[in-house]
Amino acid sequence: MSGSRTREPVPIEDYALLGDTRTAALVDSDGSIDWLCIPRFEGQPVFGRLVGGEAAGHFKLGPAGPAGPVTRRYRPSTNTLETTWETRSGRLTLTEGMVAEVSGELLPSTLLVRRLSAEGGPVAAVIEFDPRLGDRHRRPRVRRRGALLVCTWPALAVALTMDSPAQVEPGLAQPLTITPGHPLTCVLTVADREPLVHVDPVTAWNALERDELRWQDWCAEIDPDLPHRDAVVRSLLTLRLLTYSPSGAPVAAPTTSLPESLGGGRNWDYRYSWPRDASIGVAAFLGAGKQAEARAFMAWLLSATRLDRPRLPVLLTLHGKHPRSERELTAWPGYAASTPVRVGNAASAQHQLDGYGWVLDAAWLLSRSGHRLYSETWRAMAGFADRVAEHWREPDAGIWEIRADSAHHVHSKMMAWLALDRAVRLAEHHRTAGSRRRRWSQERDALREDITRHGFDPERGTYTRSYGSAEVDAALLVLPQLGFEAPESARVQGTLDAVARELDAGRPLLFRYPPGHDGLDGSEGAFLPCSFWMVQALARSGRLPEAQVLLDELVALASPVGLYAEEMDPRTRRHLGNYPQALTHSGLIQAALALRDAAATER
Amino acid sequence: MDWAGWSLFGLLATVGLTALMISAQLGGLSRLDLPLILGTVVTPDPDRARAAGFLIHLAVGQCFALGYAGCFVLLGQATWWIGGLLGALHGAVALTVILPMLVGVHPRMASHRAGPQSVAVLEPPGLIGLNYGAQTPLVTIAAHVAYGIALGALLEIS
Repeated sequence: MSGSRTREPVPIEDYALLGDTRTAALVDSDGSIDWLCIPRFEGQPVFGRLVGGEAAGHFKLGPAGPAGPVTRRYRPSTNTLETTWETRSGRLTLTEGMVAEVSGELLPSTLLVRRLSAEGGPVAAVIEFDPRLGDRHRRPRVRRRGALLVCTWPALAVALTMDSPAQVEPGLAQPLTITPGHPLTCVLTVADREPLVHVDPVTAWNALERDELRWQDWCAEIDPDLPHRDAVVRSLLTLRLLTYSPSGAPVAAPTTSLPESLGGGRNWDYRYSWPRDASIGVAAFLGAGKQAEARAFMAWLLSATRLDRPRLPVLLTLHGKHPRSERELTAWPGYAASTPVRVGNAASAQHQLDGYGWVLDAAWLLSRSGHRLYSETWRAMAGFADRVAEHWREPDAGIWEIRADSAHHVHSKMMAWLALDRAVRLAEHHRTAGSRRRRWSQERDALREDITRHGFDPERGTYTRSYGSAEVDAALLVLPQLGFEAPESARVQGTLDAVARELDAGRPLLFRYPPGHDGLDGSEGAFLPCSFWMVQALARSGRLPEAQVLLDELVALASPVGLYAEEMDPRTRRHLGNYPQALTHSGLIQAALALRDAAATER
Repeated sequence: MDWAGWSLFGLLATVGLTALMISAQLGGLSRLDLPLILGTVVTPDPDRARAAGFLIHLAVGQCFALGYAGCFVLLGQATWWIGGLLGALHGAVALTVILPMLVGVHPRMASHRAGPQSVAVLEPPGLIGLNYGAQTPLVTIAAHVAYGIALGALLEIS
């Protein structure tokens, strides 16, 4: 089997996302699924070759030999992926997707459907099915029931069925011939502590087609006049696929330990939910007209933070629990030898002030859009504001979760100001004691004074990374959106220019802070969300033409199927870090919305 | 059958159970909120739901108290420790049978199979309520044992 030899790492941007809003798979342009955790995003990988090496399993369905030019796309306004290869004997197309809507039908909660079809003549294809589970790549117990291949571990079972007499053996390559007019459909189902639900290929294919129609309906509600609408729609679909439907939790990315520098150790587990991301997602979904999704994120925030309030946890599991301790999988070779591979995330123990600002801003946006905040929601928000009022004078870890030590990050202080400002505004329409409101207002004013005195460098005309620092930070690009200062002011414009100048990673890319200034070994790539924040900042401060050009350039950097990782190598333009990244896609959506709003204002 | 005892002590024991569960929530032990879960069957507003859910829980508790009283009659005695044993059994049934079944009948509770069209906002309880926090099974069992002990002891005295 080809899987037994070591292969060159597939570029991260070569992967496409398949998902059902409960878990997700990454499939490369050879038709190999190299990442799939079951039964949830944060579950154990059953195909883990992406970071676990050949022993971690994969599931390939594609041409048997080298194939010519590949065309790849999602079917318009759906999450169904089409990959076409040109071979010497004909064209081979793989159409695949995961069924998202299984409620009310006897369908398994994880249902992956893959169909190979040929045109122009019979095409030699191959299926490689090698499921392994978890940290130790455990092989399954295998048995057959007619056309069904059942692979079991103690609590989990995976079944493969297809409409072909070919007998698939786990771990062995099985040759197939696909003839025109006779497609081959493979169905993968998963059962977690429940009986397997057998779905025949025709039923599974029909379920996938119904799902496509639902996604098309979902996309039809999106503003037709948005700039770069196709890219925005792909980003919204990706954000939705990365939202865990049973709890409404947004997952930062479906992967762990895709490296921020190839061969380096900056490898983190992103299969968790950050309240900050949820809040940014609220704004993105609201702006795009997806009200239900915005409300669902707020509902998750309320439910998930319940045990910690008024403290806002940095990150949580899909069901609002604290992640288990971070550990390293020492036997895993990592993506492109980037080790260690980590599971769990130690950032959960940090104190980050900025999260409160994002959350209160999201509540304010919801309220401003006509969504009444329930009393409980308001009580939670008021508790967060109290916490900010009490703790803003303390140093924090900052938005970038630097593990070295805490500092007085200017961006964190600005977001704390935002939290208090939004609390004061919300209090105008929600029952609040006068003394409480006055305290928020006083602390907000004190914060402004503190930031402008200690966080601004008058000589360089820019806000700084932290108090007394000579550096800038790309997180400061949120400044024009806050209402902290007029977007056109010299201080705001000076900050935008300083960030563009000092954190330039080669247009249109930006580093998030001066490279290497984070106490970690090695370097990292340009941070993609920051470039989208720059678009927003320019658009909101009257520099619309610059913003438009920048967004044009950024949209051109997407992967071939329209996805973005967290970072990008400034030199090679290869995507880096966990993928696809919800924060980057939220940034793209908000950048497009800012362009739309700025253009409307100019008219 | 002590009908007067059942009606009064069932009410007291249910109020006690609810108070214990709410205390556990406030103490950061569990996110299992029985009044909210029961009340959101009739309204989406969390505050109204809690009020409605509390009344529903009182009614449900009274029904369970009837079962306890029946057991005491069958056994010929009501003691605190029999009540505690029944409470442990009751808690185990609540975690393994009643909570998981809610997913199928509650209009605002999602299931682990929920998809993009789901409008349910309450997360599913998961295996023995673990989605609501790691301490949820312990808190639930303890609260139901206290409920059983209270019923057994009060009916023993009466």
